[in-house]
Amino acid sequence: MRTSVVGTGVAVLTLGWAAQVAGQGLVFDARRVGMGGLALGRSSSLVRYNVAYRAVPANSGRHGEPKVTIPIPLGLIQFFHDHPNITKDPAFNPDSTGFNPILVVNTLLNLPIYYEVKQAPTPTNDVIFGIGRDSLRANLGAAAQIVPEDQFGIGGSSRPLDPGIGIRGVRLSVMGWLHDEVGFQLGDNLLGFLRDSQPASANTAYTVNGDGILEGGLAPSIAYAGRIAGDSTMGFYVGAAAHYYLGIAYARTSGVGGFRTGNPILGAPVRPTITAVTDYSKAGNALGHGVGGDVGVAWVSGPIELGVGVNDIGATLTWSDTRRDTLLYDTTSNALRTTPGPNHFTTKTKLPVSYIANVAYSLGLTTLGADVLNAGRGTTIHVGGEQRVGLFSLRGGVARDQRKRIEFGWGGGLRFAAIGFDVGFWTHTNSISNERGITMATSLSIY
Amino acid sequence: MRGMGRWIACLAVAAATGCGQGHVIFNVDALSFLRPSGDDNIPYDLPGGFTADSSVAQFFALPGGLGKSTINTVSITAAAALVNATGGGNMVFDVFFSKKQAGLFTGTPYVSAASGPVSGVDSVPLLPPTTVSPGDTVFNSDSVWVGIRAHLTSNPPLLPHMTGRLRLTELSVHIVINDKLF
Repeated sequence: MRTSVVGTGVAVLTLGWAAQVAGQGLVFDARRVGMGGLALGRSSSLVRYNVAYRAVPANSGRHGEPKVTIPIPLGLIQFFHDHPNITKDPAFNPDSTGFNPILVVNTLLNLPIYYEVKQAPTPTNDVIFGIGRDSLRANLGAAAQIVPEDQFGIGGSSRPLDPGIGIRGVRLSVMGWLHDEVGFQLGDNLLGFLRDSQPASANTAYTVNGDGILEGGLAPSIAYAGRIAGDSTMGFYVGAAAHYYLGIAYARTSGVGGFRTGNPILGAPVRPTITAVTDYSKAGNALGHGVGGDVGVAWVSGPIELGVGVNDIGATLTWSDTRRDTLLYDTTSNALRTTPGPNHFTTKTKLPVSYIANVAYSLGLTTLGADVLNAGRGTTIHVGGEQRVGLFSLRGGVARDQRKRIEFGWGGGLRFAAIGFDVGFWTHTNSISNERGITMATSLSIY
Repeated sequence: MRGMGRWIACLAVAAATGCGQGHVIFNVDALSFLRPSGDDNIPYDLPGGFTADSSVAQFFALPGGLGKSTINTVSITAAAALVNATGGGNMVFDVFFSKKQAGLFTGTPYVSAASGPVSGVDSVPLLPPTTVSPGDTVFNSDSVWVGIRAHLTSNPPLLPHMTGRLRLTELSVHIVINDKLF
């Protein structure tokens, strides 16, 4: 029982708060961290989401762009100092009385790559349960504020690999793609019980609605990116890519899970209530097929740079060999039962449209920029800048993450010829807390 | 009653989302679980000049995690009323907790109160002081037995019998855990 309680709790927490990780992104560059996550120049984010940027030449003088950035993971030193033998650390062992799920979840959500200057404080108030045969009430105190009211989840689309060849702006490649989304929404009864400390009622369901999708495959692609007007100092660039998506496998599920109280509430056994419908096409079944495309434009004029890119436009896949299963908790036998449904039927899935819009302004030793990025599940906004003073650089920025919370970044750098050392700080809400933590990132850059 | 453990396990998930280093506190109205079966009333009928015990026992399932948790404190509050109808004597009201049913009524009761002498139609409140048991291991378990005992001593002569009932009016358990449940 202990393990299952812990496991379930941790899973809920992980999923519930993991959106924040995606919210600010996993950034390995202390320069970006110092600018609140702002992507400048030919960073991977711009090239990934704006196909036109493949043609925009890098300008290391303008943005102080390094050729290579090497993260210095001081956070790992901190972590392994605090937990020298993680396999025997009670805090990470669910069977130990010292197991700390809060620490586990916070470690997963806030990977200890960089040094955590200020840990986000977690609620430490008492949690009180009032229990009677016909009464049940929870008072989570201040911790109730971290019970999510809205839908929460993680997900988005990604392209883990895209090998190809390019000739004169035309590029042929085979892109690997992945789309994953998991979302949860606490039902009104459960939300009121946990967040508002409402007493439980008899014969009432306390549930969580969940849905998720996971699909992946390959996409032979042809793309073009080039300058259609101007020169290298002032030019207009366009890019477009067409993808033929071949889906290898997918699964999409939607369900409700929870418990139904008895009458009286605790005078009768708990009755789990679980129903879920899952459509899936396993690897080896017929491939999914679909067509979609990316477009992007970029305009560079002296100190100003603008860009807009949109990905996976119209990317709808048709899966011709889908099977549907229904999962149901049988209250008679107290067991989960899977009922096979229709087979070999056709379903469709749609990849989320992702987009980026960016602007940068560089004048002399000053660079300012902003971007808006939506990778398929929520929009993030970054505004930041860099001021170079001799060997030194000063940076600052502001971001709005997927939780619509404002985060701050600041930092600096020191550059000797082709080697630079950068340090950046940013606030984050990547932990089980409504308060911010502060991370210090460090990296080496080679120019 | 056994379903309560599963219920509280569910609550533990909820608590896992909420607690950092704070305590998890359970306020259990144990009387509410005794009342439907009539175990909140212990009738007695004892000839004069005798000593006897009348008792009830009830099983409680506890959250599984409690077996590995560190109990900070347990406090028990109980109250009862002796409602005597005939005869005379005195009663001692005891509340026991044990991991096993066997031996439930042995040892020192957690809560105890004496009625003093009663005679004929009489009603005496029994208000034992709240008992606090820091670090008590009896609750480091997946289940616990609760025993209520009325220890009667009737006055001679043989007749009339000492009759009446012990009516439990409150039995609540306050358990504070040192955040080791999850």
